[in-house]
Amino acid sequence: MKILEANAAALTNFEVLDFLRSRGAGRDPTRVIVPVAPSEFKVYEFLEQTAACNQTRQSIDEYLGKCKSIKLAKAEILNIINIRPSSLVELYPIIEEYDNRFGEAAETMEDFVESVVQLLPPPPNQMESEQGTAKDQTEAPDCKV
Amino acid sequence: MFYLSLIEHTLRLPPHLLSLPLNEAIRGELEGLFVDKVIANLGLGISIYDIRSIDGGFIYPSEGASTYTVKFRLVVFRPFVGEVITARLKESNAEGLRLSLGFFDDIYVPAPLMPVPSRSEPDPENKNQVRWIWMFDEQEYPIDGVDEIRFQVHNVSYPSIPLEQDKDSKPFAPMVIKGSLDADGLGPISWWI
Repeated sequence: MKILEANAAALTNFEVLDFLRSRGAGRDPTRVIVPVAPSEFKVYEFLEQTAACNQTRQSIDEYLGKCKSIKLAKAEILNIINIRPSSLVELYPIIEEYDNRFGEAAETMEDFVESVVQLLPPPPNQMESEQGTAKDQTEAPDCKV
Repeated sequence: MFYLSLIEHTLRLPPHLLSLPLNEAIRGELEGLFVDKVIANLGLGISIYDIRSIDGGFIYPSEGASTYTVKFRLVVFRPFVGEVITARLKESNAEGLRLSLGFFDDIYVPAPLMPVPSRSEPDPENKNQVRWIWMFDEQEYPIDGVDEIRFQVHNVSYPSIPLEQDKDSKPFAPMVIKGSLDADGLGPISWWI
């Protein structure tokens, strides 16, 4: 075995899920007929639980257009697609050196998070909580001291 | 989290696969070799993405099978340092947490990388486990298995195969991810939304 290119391309969760779906995972409830390995089904199950499951190529393209206005690294853009943060505090760990780079541009970042929420569909288990319980949001801690 | 890697491999195609189209036969062989296996310093093989080229087909002297050189792309799971990933709690003991992604279980959050200040107390439901609690603003936020947990990748290591292993040691894992919960926005999702 020879590794010609360890890093030929980075894939988002959505692209991997799309690839597994195109191989037939998800169409076959028995999981025997389609040529998909059990380990691949495990990956498929994991991805179905993440934000990737409702994303489309179009929604990601729109989001990428939005990213151009903010100086983000490629890895950060990718990580935001995979995690789909719905509030500013969820963005802090994803973006390196957040305070130095964006600490003063709080408004732009809030707008950015809002556009992420609008453009990328929420993950399945977050659907209900986002619609109903706005009250709980105020109770959660905003930031560590 | 996922990458494509271009790999060249020379493999022997056993004659019982001659009835299949060449592409399918080679794909099947490659899946057996690379899918669900960890390649050191590359990551966990997830799936064969595509086959770029198939060369050769030589039959070496005194062999009953042809040998091909294949270039193909493999989807690998290899998180980068600093990436934020959502996982589920698998174990929680005095040394820290063990998280699982479903297809990958060797993610550890050691005690020094837990949210500060936090403490652990014995779990009332399971005597072998402990429950970690983050104390913030005089409130207590326990880490239980209900929520998904976000962690940040601290490092990824590929331990070499041990020559001797103690009887009571953990099963050998070829790829170990060390995660951190010590930053804003990390930990169970319900802490933040």
